[in-house]
Amino acid sequence: MSFLGYVRSDGSVGTRNYVLVIPQGIIAKSICDFVAGTKSILTVDHGSGRTANDREQIARLLIGLGRNPNVASAIVHAASPGVGYPELRAERLADEIAASGKRVEVLDPAKDGGTYGAMVRGIQLARMMVHEASKVRRERVGDEHLCLGVKCGYSDTTSGIAGNPAVGYLYDKIVAAGGTALFGETTEIIGAEQALARRAATPEIAGTILQAVAVQEERAKATGLDIRTVNPVPSNIKGGISSLEEKSLGAIHKAGTAPIQGVLKYAERPARKGLYFVDNWMGHLSIFAGYAAAGANVVLFQLGGGGVAGRTLLEGSPSVVAPFVWATANPKTYAAATDSIDFYSGTVIEGSETPEEAGERLYRTVTDIASGTLSRSETLHYTEPIDMYLQEPRF
Amino acid sequence: MPAKRALMMHPDDNVATAVEEIQPGDDVAIPVVGAVRALRATEPIPFGFKIALQDIPRGEIIRKYGETIGKASLAIAKGALVHIHNLEGTRARGDLAKGGKP
Repeated sequence: MSFLGYVRSDGSVGTRNYVLVIPQGIIAKSICDFVAGTKSILTVDHGSGRTANDREQIARLLIGLGRNPNVASAIVHAASPGVGYPELRAERLADEIAASGKRVEVLDPAKDGGTYGAMVRGIQLARMMVHEASKVRRERVGDEHLCLGVKCGYSDTTSGIAGNPAVGYLYDKIVAAGGTALFGETTEIIGAEQALARRAATPEIAGTILQAVAVQEERAKATGLDIRTVNPVPSNIKGGISSLEEKSLGAIHKAGTAPIQGVLKYAERPARKGLYFVDNWMGHLSIFAGYAAAGANVVLFQLGGGGVAGRTLLEGSPSVVAPFVWATANPKTYAAATDSIDFYSGTVIEGSETPEEAGERLYRTVTDIASGTLSRSETLHYTEPIDMYLQEPRF
Repeated sequence: MPAKRALMMHPDDNVATAVEEIQPGDDVAIPVVGAVRALRATEPIPFGFKIALQDIPRGEIIRKYGETIGKASLAIAKGALVHIHNLEGTRARGDLAKGGKP
């Protein structure tokens, strides 16, 4: 019931030990290209023309990534097009990250000799910060320091029968140990919200879950479409899922059986430990970065059919600083992409393992990765851009 | 030939999920608590797809995981494939909100 992690000054524990450079841009890119052990992000949006609510959401993402326990220290630069807005000022981002006790440096081309000057200073700083971070040793700590985030995707019926139940076992085990577990995808709980509301720790939390679903369902209805033309997506239907309700009822198995302690916004940090529902969107380019910003130190993608025939390489999704774990229970998906997949629980369908045995094996996989074993996607130098979950119109 | 396997997720369900490729005429065995429920498939049921455990009249609720996953848009015979051609969702139906027929 433990793993080896990097204990931070605020008491949180990292499973990785990066220097984070944010926001994106040529300064961040040049630092990360030049200095080992650094991470940055890739987005298509800097906040320009965004409303205050959405700008705050972007700020929450950036600050949250900086505060993630997998980050030893951070560099924030003042060269992004969004930096003129008060929410996204480099000093504000830096101060809120530094409140967690981490070292944070600010680069400002106006003071650091222009863009080139900021790049050079950033490279020099990052080299020192990475070296400093490397002196921290992993220590054995309890599972209460794990914070997990999960999404299920390309779902098929193996997801509900054998994939998500293994994740659910893991979630129950981590929550019972005093850890934190996040799940979400509001559209994919439509049809399963009553089952989740019954598990809410308080009537108020139950109401918030039902309200999040009501808002999302009204948005769906306002399109005038049968949701089945949008979600379940074609690969879900090809995998045997016949309705959104069926997808949802299979999907919630990944959340285990623990009481739900609250409903969080995208990239919002939970106030306490336990199981939380995140009112977010299912997109893999969006959701994992949000979990990492909420403090997840390991994230899991529970994969169904794989989506595309002949998909033999699974490239991972942008989780920035959180190791990304691929799990599947579909024997065809596993056979096609064995060297990309960290965990297989099709054994439950084949009858050679119970869901509990598979879940116990997943627990060992996750704690090994938390302790430093690379996840399969971490062996690739490939990052897709983050599609931040912003809901308001742009002007 | 041994019976093909399908799984019931909850005792109240009226469909089961094939965990093998099932052909028309195949005997299907569904493990339930303390017994095995048997029926014969009337259509191909691909891996991961659902088979009707009983005759399901048009408009009747279809249950999996002990919960509603939709309703029958056509009468479904015992042993038939249950999928989008004969099951329709009941949630987030914008098409119905615009005055379509439920």
